[in-house]
Amino acid sequence: MAIQRGRNKYATPKSAGLIITSLIDFFSIVVIYLMKSYSAEGSILTNADNLVLPNSVAITKPKEIFLQVAATNDMVLVDNVPVVPTDDVRRIPQDVPDPIVAKLEEKLNASYAQEQQMVKLGALNKIQGNVIIQMDKNIEFDVLFKLMNTCGKVGYNNMNFAVMEREQ
Amino acid sequence: MVEEGGGGHDLSIDLKPFINFLVVLIPVLMLSAEFAKISIINLKLPEGRGSSPSIRQTKAPEQDDSDKLLLTMIVTDSVVTLGAKGGFLPSLFYREFHKYVSREDRSVEVTVEFDPSNPKKQIKNPKTGKPFLVTERQEILLFVTDENHNIINCLYTKGGDMLTDGAGNPLKTAAKVGDTVFILTNPRRQVIVTDPSTYTLRPLSAYDEMKNRLMKIKQRYADVPDGNDIILAAENQVAYDKIVQLMDVARAAEFPNIAISKLRS
Repeated sequence: MAIQRGRNKYATPKSAGLIITSLIDFFSIVVIYLMKSYSAEGSILTNADNLVLPNSVAITKPKEIFLQVAATNDMVLVDNVPVVPTDDVRRIPQDVPDPIVAKLEEKLNASYAQEQQMVKLGALNKIQGNVIIQMDKNIEFDVLFKLMNTCGKVGYNNMNFAVMEREQ
Repeated sequence: MVEEGGGGHDLSIDLKPFINFLVVLIPVLMLSAEFAKISIINLKLPEGRGSSPSIRQTKAPEQDDSDKLLLTMIVTDSVVTLGAKGGFLPSLFYREFHKYVSREDRSVEVTVEFDPSNPKKQIKNPKTGKPFLVTERQEILLFVTDENHNIINCLYTKGGDMLTDGAGNPLKTAAKVGDTVFILTNPRRQVIVTDPSTYTLRPLSAYDEMKNRLMKIKQRYADVPDGNDIILAAENQVAYDKIVQLMDVARAAEFPNIAISKLRS
């Protein structure tokens, strides 16, 4: 007992000051890093699940919300609703001059009709025909061509490819 | 300095309000931070080209196509070629390498040559022994080869920019002090070599050589009416990633109006 009491007498400091400098250094770095990745607009576009977008140097940001057609390795989705398996798209003969994905066309026609309705009501000036195509980077061109052809056929002529911005 | 013994004056700055401020600021910034940035590439297809709207009210006026260049980039699984109305440039033969990075362990990296005749071949992960998933393919590298299927080397800067000589040909041998080289940025940057060790010989990427050729064409045919247009014609099995990279190349060489077409066998 006596020994312990003696040790306590020397070990206990009278005032415990927190060393704050290093904490502030750390916080400052975090704040600078976060400020670099700050975006006022937020992201309109979110990428669909199990989809790896290709990297690109493009820096154009989407301004509005457009119709989204996404193609993953197993499904083609319109506005995140599965429409047709990608394998079905692959099975469409490649040498047809005008390949159409029937189920996708149906779905796109419905949203095109909606857009036409909005023009009639005066909510839109004219039909813009904007569509954002999100494709997995490992999908072959054949699928892309069929999807683009279908979009174009319905009237969605203004196509945008979603890509991941490359880090500089 | 905190003085020993209670009752002494503490002369250091009071950092508590600053810390409070930072603690509030960090969550606010974190909420609005954007870590994966998604952007878009716009392809504004003219109506009637690449699409066929069911009702066409007016007939497109007949255009005089005689002085158009009609530049076309053709991509197959072993060749990239540029063609225009007058003919074709010599083809760029390439060998394709795929870089895989394991999802579980980012340090496991494998780069293997892709065999177009056997596209379903599985690449084994050296650590687990299981084949890599197609989603683990990080990058597709295209290296230019000569007629004998040997990879051509070219000088690159440390930053990864290709070097060319005054005529725009890739530099295939090491540079000497005093040589004049051009760095492939847009526009080209002229540099006189002072330290040859800053440039290294690396396999020539087909993307870089394509950019080089496109920039030459842009310079030569600056005043054709379709000077900003390029048609990208791809074969069925070409991966989407390659198309996006080639679109990047075309836009870097100032051909922003890209049309996509299909190469029929």
